Amino acid sequence: MDVFGSFALLLAFVCALYALLGGIAAIFTRHPLLIKSARQSGIAACCLIFVSTLSVVYLFVTDNFSVAYVASHSNRDLATFFKVVALWAGQEGSLLFWCFLLSVYIFSVLIAYRNKHGELMPYVGAILAGVQLFFLTISNFVANPFKSLAVANASGGLDYLARADGSGLRAVLQYPEMIIHPPNLYSGYTGFTIPFAFALGALLARYPGEKWIHLTRKWTMIAWCFQTIGILLGAHWAYAVLGWGGYWGWDPVENASLLPWLTGTAFLHSVMMQEKRGMMKVWNVWLVFITFFLCILGTMLTRSGVVSSVHAFAQSDIGGWFVGFLIIIMAVCLGAYFKNRDYLKSENQLDSMVSRESSFLFNNLVLLVACIAVVSGTLFPVFSEWFTGSRISVGAPFFNKVNIPLGLLLLFLTGVGPLLAWRKTSAESLRRNFLWPSTMGVVGMVVALASGVRDLYALVCFALCTFVATTIVVEYYRGARVIHSRTQMNWLSSAVELTLRNTRRYGGYIVHFGMVMIFVGLAGQAFNREVQKEIPVGGTVNIGPYELLLQAMDQKQEKNYVAERMIVEVMKNHKPVMILFPERRNFPAGEESGTMVAIYSTLLEDLYVVYAGVNQGSTVPTIHVFLNPLVKWVWFGGVVVVLGTLVALLPSRQAVLVLAGGKATEPAAGFVPAVQSPVSLREGHD
Amino acid sequence: MTRARRILAVAFVLIVAIAPAIVVQVQAEIDHAHELGKQLKCTCGGCEQSAGTCYHVGGQFSGPCGVAKMMIGEIQKHLDEGMTDDKVIAAMIKEYGPGAYMEPPKQGFGLVAWLMPGIYLIAGAGLVLFVISRWRKRGVAAAGKTASAKPVSPELLERARLLAQEATKE
Repeated sequence: MDVFGSFALLLAFVCALYALLGGIAAIFTRHPLLIKSARQSGIAACCLIFVSTLSVVYLFVTDNFSVAYVASHSNRDLATFFKVVALWAGQEGSLLFWCFLLSVYIFSVLIAYRNKHGELMPYVGAILAGVQLFFLTISNFVANPFKSLAVANASGGLDYLARADGSGLRAVLQYPEMIIHPPNLYSGYTGFTIPFAFALGALLARYPGEKWIHLTRKWTMIAWCFQTIGILLGAHWAYAVLGWGGYWGWDPVENASLLPWLTGTAFLHSVMMQEKRGMMKVWNVWLVFITFFLCILGTMLTRSGVVSSVHAFAQSDIGGWFVGFLIIIMAVCLGAYFKNRDYLKSENQLDSMVSRESSFLFNNLVLLVACIAVVSGTLFPVFSEWFTGSRISVGAPFFNKVNIPLGLLLLFLTGVGPLLAWRKTSAESLRRNFLWPSTMGVVGMVVALASGVRDLYALVCFALCTFVATTIVVEYYRGARVIHSRTQMNWLSSAVELTLRNTRRYGGYIVHFGMVMIFVGLAGQAFNREVQKEIPVGGTVNIGPYELLLQAMDQKQEKNYVAERMIVEVMKNHKPVMILFPERRNFPAGEESGTMVAIYSTLLEDLYVVYAGVNQGSTVPTIHVFLNPLVKWVWFGGVVVVLGTLVALLPSRQAVLVLAGGKATEPAAGFVPAVQSPVSLREGHD
Repeated sequence: MTRARRILAVAFVLIVAIAPAIVVQVQAEIDHAHELGKQLKCTCGGCEQSAGTCYHVGGQFSGPCGVAKMMIGEIQKHLDEGMTDDKVIAAMIKEYGPGAYMEPPKQGFGLVAWLMPGIYLIAGAGLVLFVISRWRKRGVAAAGKTASAKPVSPELLERARLLAQEATKE
């Protein structure tokens, strides 16, 4: 099966090469047969990658330890589902998995648009094939997952061998989120290839009309959604497994995943200016290019060992290949832009400083500054070594100090944006729209102060969260009121109807609401408490309103590991709440140990308990307890963000036409028509 | 009660009264050493985590890292010697070098890291304001042209109103 899989991978490389070269030839000759053959070759490459990926999975499931990658990342006693997901446990397999997910996207695009956009698709197909070819080159010739275990013999040849058992999967990877976090994150990274291909293809083809920007936006939203899920699952994984009590440590891998998310978010906002006003075409195209560039840069940073990371298990000497690819991407983008920049010419004009357009410009500015700050902070140790000879570290305190104010500024703009009208907002409209949100923001701050919150950032954050949430509620109320008065539907049905009539706008509001929830959770970090203590059996430790009693210690023998665990009774205000079992697992196959955190989670706070080991001298166990307020809001907020994105991806049921003048047809606050015509048309996302 | 017994009883009461205070003091210092550890980078070389939070993959076990535990032990030793927090940090940096900073120092090349985000934001805001004012001028010029254009006739407006009503009914 390893030979079969390896051959399929090689054949996929050949097909992708043809798809690229044939595609380029098809662009110049416009020969229908060449266009068709290039497309079919692209589809064949995808199918062959599927086969190759399944082959690796088969090798894992059948414990084929003659293959080096399988022997390094699995063992016989490993649970079957972990054997399947061990595919992405190391460098070679995860790069193949990357190829696989990219192929799923490419396959979908090539099939879905086979009879559409005839002028554009040969360009898109060739660009996608080019990206696929790069990853296939790596998988075939640099980090091949089918490499056999072999040792050099006396005659200089190789003796192939098979081990009786493998080294096992790393301890921290033996956790349920290993199954879903990497596929989602990789789907985000690879997904940004599609908008890149459409944007670059449209620029190269000088594709007429605005259809390409709609396609680019849709695919960006899909990739952005996966990236969001991937980032949050990664944060949850870190929280539940690593045992340091937090979910975001500004590790270079975390930073790398955040970069395209930030620029992708900027694009999803600024693209509205192009769709509605025909503005910022150059900026939008470059945002798409940069987002893709950051996907590859992030991959390079974390897999090449340029910066150290908790994801050290996926590092090898492949940085040079990625640098080469990044140079090619930038050269192609610059070349395409300078050759066809007149195609992107747009009549950028604004009627007023106080307008939705201005708020989007500032939104893009803050997102971009945050992105640059994260990139420069991540790379600062490298720069400092170049310039001064000594490596200056940049850790979480720096990133927090720089990014918290930027995050709050962004939160403020999240609330302000929907309150401003396109083109121009009158003073009367400003007063009316800002009245309730501002009042509630102040109330939020007063309530937080009265509750004992004294941290400045947390206070501002709670005030802004109330401000933004009120903005969203008021927007919903105004829209639903019109439907309610016309159709006599109840308020909930009216709100649902409103959402379905304009999925982009109201899906966007749901996303904003999810972000508010996430910010509430982030603000909770200002009040984290922790205590680490050696306690004998029968001893207690107190934190906040909780008292933890170590009832006993025991051992649990599982197929793949032995767990040593604490049995901890939790009492709140002297009443028993539950029993927690924090444990340390010893995996004999890889000679590794890992923690399993026990968490008692409520909407208000998480009681996070870690069995931190045993004092070698006294043999007394050490417990590390954290009291982390509002963490659940981050996870629930993430779910709401994803739901909102899915809503925004749905087609709207119908455009809403609103007549000005009558009470029932009064435009929603914040909408001020550019020209004071008696008829105004409200459609699309605001 | 003999004198000796009286002394023993007083001593016992004192010990019982003071012991929790001593325990609490020790506990507080263990936690404080851990807190100070968060200001120093773990020198295990496998991650960018602080000595107070290093649970990186590849350590002796995934949490807490052995090197981090050793560093926290050293911090504790310095605290036991009566050093202030600043002196503890300075002593640790002297021992482990500038690579042990968790955040860049606010001097020398480290200052660049602190200044750059502010410079990006100020320069970016300036650029955005410049762009907005330039686009506004174009907008005003375009509005002037529109104002001089022929106005929309009442018939056309009425037709638009009817079309809008029909669309709403649908």
